[in-house]
Formats: sequence, C-alpha cells, structure tokens
Amino acid sequence: MEKQTLPLSPNQLLLRGCSLRNTEYIVGAVIFTGHETKVMMNSMNVPSKRSTLERKLDKLILALFGCLFSMCLIGAIGSGVFINRKYYYLGFFGDVEPQFNPDNRFVVAILTMFTLITLYSTIIPISLYVSIEMIKFIQSTQFINKDLNMYHAESNTPALARTSNLNEELGQVEYIFSDKTGTLTRNLMEFFKCSIGGEIYGTGITEIERGRAERSGLKVDEGKSPTTAVHEKGFNFDDPRLMHGAWKNERDPEICKEFFRCLALCHTVLPEGDESPEKIMYQAASPDEAALVTAAKNLGFFFYRRTPTTVMIRESHVEKMGKIQEVAYEILNVLEFNSTRKRQSVVCRYPNGRLVLYCKGADTVIYERLGDGNHDMKRLTREHLEQFGSAGLRTLCLAYRELNTELYEKWNEKFIQAKSSLRDREKKLDEVAELIEKDLVLIGCTAIEDKLQEGVPACIETLSRAGIKIWVLTGDKIETAINIAYACNLINNDMKQFIISSETNAIREAEDRGDTVEIARVIRHSVKQDLNRCLEEAQQYLRTISGTKLALIIDGKCLMYALDPNLRANLLNLSLNCSSVVCCRVSPLQKAQVTSLVKKGARKITLSIGDGANDVSMIQAAHVGVGISGLEGMQAVMASDFAIAQFRFLTDLLLVHGRWSYLRLCKVITYFFYKNLTFTLTQFWFTFQTGFSGQRFYDDWFQSLYNVIFTALPVIIVGLFDKDVSASLSKKYPELYREGIRNMFFKWRVVAVWAFFSVYQSLIFYYFTTAASQAGHNSSGKIFGLWDVSTMAFTCVVVTVNLRLLMACNSVTRWHHLSIWGSILAWFVFIFIYSGIMTPYDRQENLFFVIYVLMSTFYFYLALLLIPVAALLGDFLYQGFQRWFYPYDYEIVQEIHKNDPEDSSRIELLEVANHLTPDEARSYAISQLPREKSKHTGFAFDSPGYESFFASQQGVFAPQKAWDVARRASMRSQQRKPRT
Amino acid sequence: MEMEGGSSSGSAGGTQTHHRFSPMRSRAFYRFTQQNLPACKPVLTPGWVIMTFLIMGIVFVPVGLVCLHASESVVEIVDRYDVECIPEAYRSNKVAYIKDSSISKNCNRTIKVQKHMKAPIYIYYELDNYYQNHRRFVKSRNDKQLLYGLKYKDTSSCKPEESSNGLPIVPCGLIAWSLFNDSYAFVRDRGEMNVNRKNIAWKSDREHKFGKHVYPFNFQNGTLIGGGKLDPSIPLSDQEDLIVWMRTAALPTFRKLYGIIEEDIDADEIITVHLVNNYNTYSFGGKKKIVLTTSNWLGGKNGFLGMAYIAIGTSFVLISVLFALIHVKYPRPRGDPTYLSWNRKSNAS
Repeated sequence: MEKQTLPLSPNQLLLRGCSLRNTEYIVGAVIFTGHETKVMMNSMNVPSKRSTLERKLDKLILALFGCLFSMCLIGAIGSGVFINRKYYYLGFFGDVEPQFNPDNRFVVAILTMFTLITLYSTIIPISLYVSIEMIKFIQSTQFINKDLNMYHAESNTPALARTSNLNEELGQVEYIFSDKTGTLTRNLMEFFKCSIGGEIYGTGITEIERGRAERSGLKVDEGKSPTTAVHEKGFNFDDPRLMHGAWKNERDPEICKEFFRCLALCHTVLPEGDESPEKIMYQAASPDEAALVTAAKNLGFFFYRRTPTTVMIRESHVEKMGKIQEVAYEILNVLEFNSTRKRQSVVCRYPNGRLVLYCKGADTVIYERLGDGNHDMKRLTREHLEQFGSAGLRTLCLAYRELNTELYEKWNEKFIQAKSSLRDREKKLDEVAELIEKDLVLIGCTAIEDKLQEGVPACIETLSRAGIKIWVLTGDKIETAINIAYACNLINNDMKQFIISSETNAIREAEDRGDTVEIARVIRHSVKQDLNRCLEEAQQYLRTISGTKLALIIDGKCLMYALDPNLRANLLNLSLNCSSVVCCRVSPLQKAQVTSLVKKGARKITLSIGDGANDVSMIQAAHVGVGISGLEGMQAVMASDFAIAQFRFLTDLLLVHGRWSYLRLCKVITYFFYKNLTFTLTQFWFTFQTGFSGQRFYDDWFQSLYNVIFTALPVIIVGLFDKDVSASLSKKYPELYREGIRNMFFKWRVVAVWAFFSVYQSLIFYYFTTAASQAGHNSSGKIFGLWDVSTMAFTCVVVTVNLRLLMACNSVTRWHHLSIWGSILAWFVFIFIYSGIMTPYDRQENLFFVIYVLMSTFYFYLALLLIPVAALLGDFLYQGFQRWFYPYDYEIVQEIHKNDPEDSSRIELLEVANHLTPDEARSYAISQLPREKSKHTGFAFDSPGYESFFASQQGVFAPQKAWDVARRASMRSQQRKPRT
Repeated sequence: MEMEGGSSSGSAGGTQTHHRFSPMRSRAFYRFTQQNLPACKPVLTPGWVIMTFLIMGIVFVPVGLVCLHASESVVEIVDRYDVECIPEAYRSNKVAYIKDSSISKNCNRTIKVQKHMKAPIYIYYELDNYYQNHRRFVKSRNDKQLLYGLKYKDTSSCKPEESSNGLPIVPCGLIAWSLFNDSYAFVRDRGEMNVNRKNIAWKSDREHKFGKHVYPFNFQNGTLIGGGKLDPSIPLSDQEDLIVWMRTAALPTFRKLYGIIEEDIDADEIITVHLVNNYNTYSFGGKKKIVLTTSNWLGGKNGFLGMAYIAIGTSFVLISVLFALIHVKYPRPRGDPTYLSWNRKSNAS
C-alpha cells in the first residue's frame, strides 16, 4: 500500500467464517486457498436427498406405466382386430377418419393406443405426489417441529425438520453413525471416583451402571445424594471418607496424601485468574488434567500458582485437621506426556528436601514399571481399574518413587544432555525417562467420567432393541473411543472385540524408518491381514450359535487402507457382522466414506448424527442427516435434514415420528395405487365390450374429479392421523421399528395383495353393475342406458374406495369420519347438481337426470348395498385372516393394550416424571401444562406470559411459549455469527 | 431463560396469529400437533370378524330371497326371430335379402304363453353384437340440435351423418341414422291387441332433451339408409322410438322398450306376432329377439341381484362358520406377547 511493504504475520490472519465488525472494509490477501485446503478436501457436494420409499415409489410408478402400456397394447390390438365394415351402423362411408378406418387396421391400432393411453392415464396417481408432499410438509412442520417430547427446555430448542421429504426415511434407519464429542458426550470431564491404596472412593453411579442395575431388577436409589456435595465443572465426586479432611481417619492416610499430592503436582496445568478456590480457572491441555487438578483442589490440595520452577499448593488438614498451609514444591523435571509414553511424570523437591517422582499414566505402562511387593494392592487396584473401565470411566494410574539425591543427580545429567541434544531429542528424552520411571510405588487410580449427554445409554439401548446398529465415528484416540463405547453400552466385556489399529509395533517401526511408501505398504499389508483374520474369526463366531456379539474397533489410518477398493468388501462384510463398530481418529472425509460404504455397499438406510463442522460431510453423505443444535455452532444443523437438541430425542424422532411417517406413507401410497388401479380397471373391462374403441365408461368430469375431490381428502387425513400404536407404546416396544427396517409395509408382496384386491373389486364393480342392469328396472319397464350404468358403477367405486380406507385405518378420529363420509357426500352432491342442470355450452348432456332416474329404482339401492359389500368382502376376509394367523407385531401390541384407557400411557409418563431430574421434570411439566390446565388454555395465546404464569404456580419455570420455539430457534440461528 | 430480542418479536408475531383461537380450538390444535387426537381404535378381533360376517349373512340372504322371488314372479317370453323370418331361399344370403327393398319383409311368429301374464306387458326388442357403446357411435349425436333443431348449426359431432345433399339433417348423427325399424303387431284369438307406444322413454329425455318444436328434417334422405324413417310432422319429443334408441346401451347385448300391451294374457294362449323384419343385423351377425314380459317393483326378470345377494350372504355365513371353527381349533390368545416376532425368534433359537 502506497508502495510500502507490510509484513503479514499470524496476527493479521482472519480465519474462514470470520465476520467483519466495526469497519467498512479491509484490504486483504487471500492465502491458503484452493482445492488442497483442509476445508475443501473435507467438503463434498451437497447431495439432494430423496427417501428410499420415494425411490421405491418410482419403481412402482414405472410398473404402473408398464401396466398402462400393456393394457393399451391389448386394447390397441383388439381395436385393430375388431374394426370391420360389417358394423355398418358405425358409418364407414365417405371419409372415415383414420382412427376407425377398417382399411388400415394398423393405423387404427396405433391411434387407439393413444386414445387408450389418455383413457387409462388415471392409473398413474399424479395427485399422489402432491398428496405426499402435503402430508410430509404437515408432518414435519406441525408434528416434528412442535413435538414437546423433543423440545429441550433448557436451551429452548425444539426439533427442527429442515427438509420435509425424509420423514418416512426416519422409519427405516438401520445404521446410525454418531459423532462422539458433543453428540454422545458433553465434552465435560468430571472426577468421578478413585481408588487409593486398594480402596474405592466415590459414591456416584454412572448411567451405564444404573442401566445395568435396572435391567437386573434393582431399584437404584438416587435421591439420597446430600446437597452439601461439592459439584462444580470437572468434579462430581462425593465420599465423606475423603472430603473435608476426613481422609486422615482412613487406614492409610499417608498414601492418601501422596495421592492428593500427585494430583496436585503431576500436571502441566496453568492457573488463571484470582488465586481463590472459587474463582480460579485452570488452563489445561486436556479436560482430564483440569478435572484432576480441580479434584485435588476440592480434596484440600489447592494448586494456585505456578512459577517456572515451583508449584504452590495450599494444603489443608495435612498436619492436623483444619490447618491450612501454603507449600511451595520445587519442580525439577517434567517428563511430558505423549502418545507412545502414555504417562507423565514430574520430579519435585519438597521444602524439606525430599525428592519424589510422581507419575500418572495408563495402567498398562504404569504396571510395567512398578517395583516389587505389595501384590495385594496391585491386584485390588487392577480389579478397580477394570471395574471403572467397564463402567465407562477413563482411568489413570498414579504412582510415585522416592529418589535419593545421588541417583537423581546422576540421572539429571543424562536428562539435561538429552534435552539439549539436537538430533532425535524426543527419542532420547523418552529413553532417559525410562531410566528413572521404574520401581514405582502404586498409589491408586482415578476415574474420570466423560460426561455423557442426558439419557444417551438408555437411548442407545432402546435404539439397539429397535434393531438399529450404532457406529461411533470419532476423531478421538482409540482408548477414549473404546471408553465411550463402554459408557454408552455399545461395547461390553461379553463381546468379542476386533481391534484393527495402526498402533502396532510393526507399523511403528516402519514409521520410524520414515519412508512413506514403505509405511503405506506395511500398513496396507497389516490391515489386510487383520481384516482377513477378523473376518475368519467373526464367521467362526457366527457359526457357533453362542450368540456372542462382535464389535469392531478400527482407527483412521487403518481405515484409510481398509477403504481401498480391494479391501472394501472385506471391511464391509466384517463390519456388517458386528453389532457395534467404533472408528477412531477418523477425518471428516473418512466419516463420510464410512457412511457411504454402508449406504452404497450394503444398501441399508443410514443416519448420521453430529454436532460440529467436522460432521457435515458425514451428515450429507448419509440418507438422513441429523444435526445436534448444541454448542458447536450451526454448521452441522445447516447441513442436516433434521435438527434436534439432544441425542436422546433420536428415540422420539425415529421410533415415533419416523415409524409413523413410514407407516402412514406406505398406507397412503398403497392406497393410492389401489384406488387408481381399481378405477382404471373398471374402465379397462368396459373397453372389451365396446369393440376396443376407447369409449369412456365414466363421464369426463367423474374421471377428473375422482382423484381431486371424491377420494382426495380421506387419504391425506390418514396420512396425517393414522397411528397403529401410541407414542409411548412405540417407545415401549422399540422392536416394532424393525418392521420399518425390513420394509414390511411396502414390499412388492404388499403391493401385490393390494393389486389383487383391486382387480377383484374392479371385476365386481363392472360385472355386477352391468349384469344387474340388463332388464327393465322399475314397474314402468324402462331400460337403462350406458350412462345410467356407468353412474351406478362410479357411485359404487367411490363408496367402496372410501370405505376401504376406513378399513385400513388403525385409529379413527372424527376427521376420518368427516373426510370419508364427506367425500361420499360430495359425490352425491356433485352428481345431483351435475345431472340436474343443462348447460348452454356445447357438450353432450349424457348425464342429464341420470341420478334421479337411477334413484327412482330399487335397483339402485339394492346394488348400492350389494356391490360395495361384495367388493369389500375379500379385503375384510383377508384382513381378518392375516390378523389372526400372521399378525404383524403392531397388531399384537394393539391387542395387548387394547383395553388400556386412552390416557394411561400419559399417567405412566407422569409417574416417570416424578423420578426425573429437575431439568427433565421442568420440561415435562411444560409438556403437561396445556393438558392439565385445559380449561384455562384460552390464555395460552392471549398473553405471552401465560405459561410461565401457570408454571410458576406449579413450581416450575417455563419458557414463554413452547409452540413458538421453532421460530425462535431459527431467528437465533440467523443472529448467531458464524464460527469455524 | 435467555431471551433474545429477535425471539420476543417472533413470539409476539406468533401470539397474534393464535390470538383469535378460542380455548377449544387451541386445545384441538395442541392435540393435533402432539398427534393426540381422540380416536377410536378398532381392532379386528375374531369375534368381530365372525359377528360381522354372520350379521351380513343374515341380512343378505333374506334380501336375496326377496329379490329372487320378485324376479321369479315375472313372466318373460323371449323369441328369436332373425333367422326364422328369412325365407328359406334367402337363408344363404341374408344380407342381400334384408337390403333388397323390393321384397316384402313381413313375417309371422306364434308365441305360446305358458303362464298368465298380467298387464302391463312390456314388449322389448333385444339386439346382440350391436355396439351402441362404440366410441364412434356414442359421440355421433348432437344434444343441442335435438333440443333446438335447425337453429343450432354446429353439428360437427354428428359426423359422418351431419348433412346430406348440402342440407343439415335433423336429427343428425349415426345413432339417429341407425334407428331400429322392425315393427310388431300382436294378434290373439279375440283380435288384434292394442300396443301402446307412448311413454316408453324416460320422462326426463322426452321433456328436456328432445325439442317439442323440432321436427325431423332431411332425415334418411341420403344414398345410404341406415334404419328407420321418422314422420317429419311429429316433433322429436314425441318420437319415442327415437328417444329410446338414442339412450345408448351400455353393453353390446341390450334390450330396448318397444311398447306396452295393456291387457292380460291368459295362460296357454297363443299370440301371433306380425312383424316387419326391416332392420339389418345380418351384416354383423347380430341376433334379434322379441321379448314379452311382465314387471313388478324390481323391474323385469333379472335373477342376478337375487342370486348375488344369496351367494354373498351364504358365503358370509359359511365364512363366519369357518372362522368360528378355526377359532375354536387353533385359538390365538389375544394380545399374547409370545407372538411378537422378536419373542418368537428367541423361542425358536
């Protein structure tokens, strides 16, 4: 600028997604752009999604087209054969138009073909698409967006269906790909339990333990947690034996002291802010460390200041109860954490000159380096570690080693040497560390809870009962991922686990050698071997009927090679046999690749759920993408098809909304198929008796209004209101969802049954009406004409088709009645008017007075009773038979709960509400409000504060309006500035 | 709860839209969005199936019996005459016979009445293989012309019988052109019977579809004569033959009302029919029949409705019995959780 050279440094860097504030413009240079950037590499084209059901519907429509053409072909051939000069009354003289010219039968056939195509075009349910769109739109805007069961009161977020064309896809999901952080977990580490000197401390119960206990029938008592328990971010621990200095009365207070000191000293945390326990903030490389330091603080060893060489600890109750002293420990060396060492040590000198090495790390590495002796404690601690591990907690072992000055000085020289070396410094440091980190004395272990989102294990348990397989795709380390899988009950110790990891010696050696080609070769080879081995084992396990479940854990590096086209089939085969799969250290793009592997390779319906920008490609790749509208910005939500506030709402979204949508749309589609086929087939049978001339059986108006007025509304009502079992039962019997996964209601078999009955019914309609109309029809001996018969037939079709829908309903609301009887009534009103008037337009008044003529005969009433009943006989018989001998699951559930009063489920829920956490109870109370206070609901929309008013009377806090939250959420998303 | 500025305005807007809802409606709306509308949930239990079938059967069989009885009580005599009314000499070439206007077409048929026939006795002619419902045929008419006569000019729908010798035809079209023109006279021992040829068409057709002041014009004046001629002095609304003929039949086999005999015929009486066999069905091999029938509340003889009612009704009863038997023999306890597919599977393994 102005011929100046300005240096650019990271200070000037604006990252993608920043927004400009307080200035009109900036002058900038764009750097790090192009197709090779991380963002571009991870991004994919935004796909347009259509549901599998709609795809199948397309096939059905194609089949209908095929049917249409074959019908037309039959008609066309017939017309070519039929046309003949002998039918002189058809006026074959002069210029006969080509369509009926007997001299050129071929042309006759071709032209008749076109006539018939227009005549039979009703077989293609054009209004179906419109109806489906309408149904889906209302489903998503009115039902999903406004479901109070999916409304998260704390964050004031309702569910949000961002697209309306995937509702029914939610009812068929078989694989869920879930992100970990922010989706399953809250990214909140809490010190939860510990084991000191072979003794477990900590009274908390993890969700998974609770679930296990509940399954075994134990009632978990939760209410007794004392209110005095300290609970802050990172600390969720309570045990009167340790808190407030009580540890001094424990069996071995010395080891407790070591434990706390280890927590307070062995870390790389920086304190920030005020040096008081309440206000201090810890800046840590990982939330675990912060949690541990916080734990030390709460247990009386408050770390408050760090200088380059010392750590200041304010220790309480050390010498005697209630005494607080400030101690400065000199930190001599820090042996830092890395992924190969999996441990961290500090060497520190007490003010009294005692030299101690404190070490914490993974149990495997610590146990290798323990000194002899004290086997009992090691054994106990190991048991505790396993116990913690299976409860889904993250464990760390703590150990220490007394050093004498001489030994230390000798070692320190080597350490300094290593530290100042220029080549392979890290390797040398590791080697030096090995020299001192040995003969350790075990203190105990800590257990940190990676706090799960509310209700996650229960949700996963429900979903897996519903036959859905859940895969965790995470960028985290393999240990963390496995931990979370345990915590979410995805993996347990009964499962056979296949671990394909790049952290093996062979691979590490290759990596050390540093040749990229070589590394690739080695990894590919080992991945291939692993895959084949696992596959073989898996098949062995599957062959034995022991019912062992399998789990696959694979990391990103291996995945990269396993996704190679050659190995892809093996990977797919293996992973489909596993009931849970955990992929760790995967990049966003790999997430998407895994998703599409299952989507395309296994042709199963997939759902991806995630909350962050790194899940976007996965969300887009899956059939259904669900975004968690949580803390991590809006990218995931923006890319998603549905946004929910909490992972646990997935149960409602899938088992209730998805299942219903699927059932309803299946019903709507098959019914549409049936009603158009029936209608068209009556026309088709008539064609045979008109010399294949393409004469209409029905008046033009009947044909056009059939789909628009006489049969349109009821099917939409069914698409909106039909439900087989109530929402609470859907969740109580998650297995019902499997019917959707297996696509039980839109198989070709189901379609064939409908098709069979529509052929049957159309035959009844046509032959019964015509056969019964042959002789004179009242005492005056007058005879019906074509239009009388066709009006009769059409009346029967409209009545029957509407009643057939009523038979297909699982629940009949007054809207059903209104629409079905309304449609039938609409037909009569129409025909009364239509046949009652003569119009001045040039049209054939074929239908003039027809209905009145018909209704003056007994024939009309007798036929109107006989024909629909005869037509529905088959369906009724089939339904009764099918229900009795081959019942669908939902039908049995209906029967089980047939005598439940309508509201019983809700009362159950109310009881549940009493055991809920305050937060849940609050949202629950809100959901109860309008119902409970129905007499007063009038206020609901009068004053915005109404709900809060009633809520406060009930002792709960409520946001102002539950219905409007959708809009609010969308408003907020606009306001929030984008983050990257 | 945190409230952003935007959200409060959003909720205010929402409030206004809901403002006019009464408490009832808001509750209904709530139940709608929570998908909790009151509904009855019919469950098709075997009891229901059996009872429904049984009741339907019990209703249908008697109705069927009544219909069948009504149909059986009708006396109907059908006589096919198209072959017999051709002299032996022309049997091999019927078409030539019928087209030859110089030959007399008179023909006598004797009908023996088996049962007493009570007046009114309806006379129908029945044609076969006659496609009155052919598309070319059905559309070849003009309702406006039938009502307004020559005043209405646009008769293109009547092709190819819209005009002849440059003048419009009234009534135009193939249907009118092919008017059936066999005629019948009935003679019994006591003398000729009176055939009433009035009031054989539906009243609505006579009064509203055929003009009272529309007279046949230029009808059957072309080179090709399709069928009957009309008296140009009688308005269309009184030409009931034509009106009957022009209510096109639904099927290729059809009957049309010819006239009414308004006197009883006793059993074993012999009726002679003097008929004029003008109409050409020989070209396309169609049969011609004359039908004499009585009528009652249900109409003419048509056992179909009655038979269908009885058949459906009996099958209802049979099915209900069958279901009951199956129900007794292989009962499925209602709402038994062991029948749930996932429970069944675990039992099997």
